[in-house]
Parts: sequence; C-alpha cells; structure tokens
Amino acid sequence: MGNLKKGQVLIFLILISVFILSVCLSLFFRLPNNVDDIKIILMLIRLPAILKAIVAGASLAVAGMFLQTISKNPLADPYLVGLSSGAGLGISLSILLFNSVNYSLFGFFGALISAVLVIALSGFSKFSITKLILIGLSFNLFVSSLIACLILINPTKSYAMTLILTGGFNSADISNRLLLLLFVIVMIICALFIPKLNVLRLDTGLAFKTGKEADRISIIFIILASLLTSLSVFSAGILGFVGIICPVFSRLLFGADCRVLFFANILCGSTLLLVSNFLSNNLLFPVQIPLGVVVSIVGVPFFVYFLLKKGGIFKGNF
Amino acid sequence: MLKIQNLNFKFNEKVIFDNAELEIPKGKISIIMGANGAGKSTLLKIITNNIKADCSIINEFKETFYLPQNPYYPYGVSVFDYVSSVFYKKNWKWFLSKAEESKVNEALKMVELFNQKDMEIQKLSAGEFQKANFALGLLSGADLFLLDEPLSNMDLINQIKTLENLTNLVKSGVTSVLIMHDINIAANFGDYFIGINKDHKIVSGSKEEFFKPQNLNDIYNIDFRIMNDDDKIFVQIVD
Repeated sequence: MGNLKKGQVLIFLILISVFILSVCLSLFFRLPNNVDDIKIILMLIRLPAILKAIVAGASLAVAGMFLQTISKNPLADPYLVGLSSGAGLGISLSILLFNSVNYSLFGFFGALISAVLVIALSGFSKFSITKLILIGLSFNLFVSSLIACLILINPTKSYAMTLILTGGFNSADISNRLLLLLFVIVMIICALFIPKLNVLRLDTGLAFKTGKEADRISIIFIILASLLTSLSVFSAGILGFVGIICPVFSRLLFGADCRVLFFANILCGSTLLLVSNFLSNNLLFPVQIPLGVVVSIVGVPFFVYFLLKKGGIFKGNF
Repeated sequence: MLKIQNLNFKFNEKVIFDNAELEIPKGKISIIMGANGAGKSTLLKIITNNIKADCSIINEFKETFYLPQNPYYPYGVSVFDYVSSVFYKKNWKWFLSKAEESKVNEALKMVELFNQKDMEIQKLSAGEFQKANFALGLLSGADLFLLDEPLSNMDLINQIKTLENLTNLVKSGVTSVLIMHDINIAANFGDYFIGINKDHKIVSGSKEEFFKPQNLNDIYNIDFRIMNDDDKIFVQIVD
C-alpha cells in the first residue's frame, strides 16, 4: 500500500480535484438570484442528486471491482449477476401494477431477489464463478425479454418504462438519510473485507486449503456486490457501464492492490456520475439528456484512450 | 508422518486406486511418479481433502501447503505483495505489522528473492516464480508441502535450482511431497519414492528399495536398466 508511485499519487490528486470541482459545479452552476429559491433548489434538488450520484457511482464501481477480482476476468460487471434485468423487471411491474412512483424500491428488491436466485442456481450442484457468470448472463437475457414483452403489450405506459430503465436521479422517493445510512453501512462492511480480496487475486488452489473455502469467501463478495448494485439501482435506476469501466480504469492507473483500488473505484465511479449528471442537465439546457446516455458518451472515449495507452497489462492474466 | 490406508477411489467408473496404501515420512523429500492419468494429482487432492475418497487418513502434520500445477498469477502485483497476501487471509487488518513484514522479508531472503521484492510477479522467470510460491508456503506456516509438478515448463538449470531450494527448505524442517516425471533428477534429489502402478496399487520405498527394474516396469510399462555408481542411481530405458 505504501508503494504508490509519484505519478499515481498525482493522478489521485487530479481525480480528487475533479471530484470536488464537479460537486461544486453541480451545486452552484446556474443558480437563480432569489435566496429562497436557492435554498429550495440546493436542499431539495441538487444535494440529493449529488448524494445519489456518489452512492450509485461508488457502489457500482466497487461492485464491479469485487466481481472482476474474484472471477479474475475484466469483463465481469455487476449486471452480469443478473441484477440489472431483475431491477428492470421490478421497476416495470411497479409501473404496470401499482402506477407507483416508488419504483426504485421495487428495483431494489428486484435486484436483490434476482441476485439470490442466480447465486442459488449456480450453487445447486458444484459452485463455480464461471457458472455464476453464465447463469447470470442467461438470466439477464431471459428477464430482458420479459421486460421487452411487457413494454410491447402496454403501449400506454411504454414511454414511462423506457425512460426509467435508462437510469436517472430524479426519483425523489427514498429518504436521503436512509440511503446514506445504508451506503455507509455497506461500505464499512466492504472495507472490512477488502484485504481478503488481495488473497483472492492469487490462484485459488494455492491460497485456500479447499475449493469450498475459496467459494465461501467468493460468495461473500458476490453478496456484497449484489447489495451495492441494489443500492445503486435504488438511487439511480439502471446504469450499465459504470461497473465495468471504473474498475478496469482504476486497475490501469493504480495497479492491482485492492486496498488502493477500493478508494480509486469510489473516486472514479462517483466522479464519472457527477460529471455525467452535470452534463446531462446542462449540455442541452433546458433539455435533459438521459443519464445513461451521457455516461457512455463521457466514459467511452476516456476509457478507450487509456486502454490504448496503458492496456499493456491486459496482455496476460488479469 | 502421514498415512493413508484402504484407499479406494473411482473416477467415472474407472478405478484409480484399489485398496492402496501410502505413507509419507517426516522431514524428507518424497517424490510421486506415475504415468499420465495414474492418479498422482488425485492423490495430492485426496490428501488436501479437495476430493473425498473412501480411505482412512492419519495426518500428523499441522498445516498443509498445496501448490497446484501452473498456478495462476495476477499482473501488476509486486513479489512482496504477492507473498504477504497470505497474512490477510485470517486477520481483519489492512496493514502488515512490523513483525509480519520482517517475516516476509526473511522468507524472501531464504528463497533468495529479496533483491527482487519490488519486481512485478509477471516479470519473474518460471523458477523465480516457483521460489515466490515456496516463500508463500513458508509464511503459511505449513510443515507439509504438496507440490504438483513444480518443475513443469522449467529448463534443466531452473529445475535443479528449484530442487536445491526445496532441499534447503526440507533442512529447515519442512516435509515435501512432489510430483515429477524426470526419473534421473528424481533419483538425484529424492529421499523417498512413491509410484502408482498399473494395478492401481501404490509402491513406495527408499531409493534402493524403489529403483528396481521390475518396480519401474510396473509403473511405466517400459523396460529400464538401473545403474549404481557409488551412492548415485542412474536409470536408462532399454529398447
């Protein structure tokens, strides 16, 4: 941990300053002159949005890092465990059946239930990470098709569903205190387990006495990843991509020590969503671009640039 | 000492072990030999409890360290970090204590890897990587090393260097069991030999007991000639 190179410390500092800058911009950019309005806008709209961006970004990035490390595969991401479509189905059902504004609650439970289902299914005979990813992938496809059917047969509500499924922070239906509390609790639990992730980087046969012991620790991380992803669904709907690029990006920049990567991912993920959120609100003002769209437009060029420049580490094992 | 009795094991209806017996003596290098598919790796996995087999095991060793064939290694991890990972397995802390740090350094000095401790693991040679794994085993506090073909993919010099390292480890009180294929190198470095023969029985013994043409023929189904030169044994294939 103490052997970060100077360049890496510099990148950390740059990331922190971009983070602070984007927080300030999201808070104070284009405020009206009236003091009362300012108060309302800050407290009711902008602060909650920033909180949600940080929670969603950090959770997705850390969840992605967990899954990539335990599966030893840079392609793993939180949604591979079947979470995104599970959440999507929950949300769609809530819109259809209850006309509900509480859709992120349904998304949260949808994600949790699908995670439990996928883990249980991949654990029925002999558990393996590869099987988990394959089952998650098939589950994803299956449930996405169900959602597509639901959208098709309910033309009156299809617009609302499509909009929510692309993600965004405008769901003001969870108490911010509760969200923050949950986030802090889950992050503390994650922090406790982080050093064990360093052991999971090793060959599992080498590091653990039996395959079962390794699986047990892996499952703990999968459950943590599911919790984190559910939190992100809770706060920002369904956002793909963050969970796959942030961990790979941090890995490119900061090496393979999971203790460093934990903080790097929290920073990367939340900064990416803060910047995207700011741009989605202000780029085509007063039109709001869907958050998921901006995330990809902002994230991909950055990601590909660094991959081209520093992708040498992906020649061999991850 | 480790003792396995009445070992019966079938894999996909194929008999691998039929009422086999095995003893691993303490403080020695034991070498397991046998044809491909004879059950060498299976035997190690039975000892480590990774495979459940019908047998009785008496194990007097405290801690086992198992090194699989061609272990996976991550990119971008320094040798020091790689080796010290073992300390994070049981504890809940984020940093190594001073005592643990010096233990890691000692282990690295012992396997002669101290000078490369900041090097990234993928930049090591095959032999050096195997040394890093030995250091990992030393730090795990294991007194029984089970090594599944630790010499695969190594050139002759690295094979011999690795075995010399292993001999030093054994002198420091570790018992090691390894699977290998080169009979002559095995005869040179091993103290005790375990062969799995075509009748699914385990034959074992000291160098003199084990290296007999009939014994080796039972294992490999090839005729061998054994030559004794003082203390050394050479094995040659007869056409």
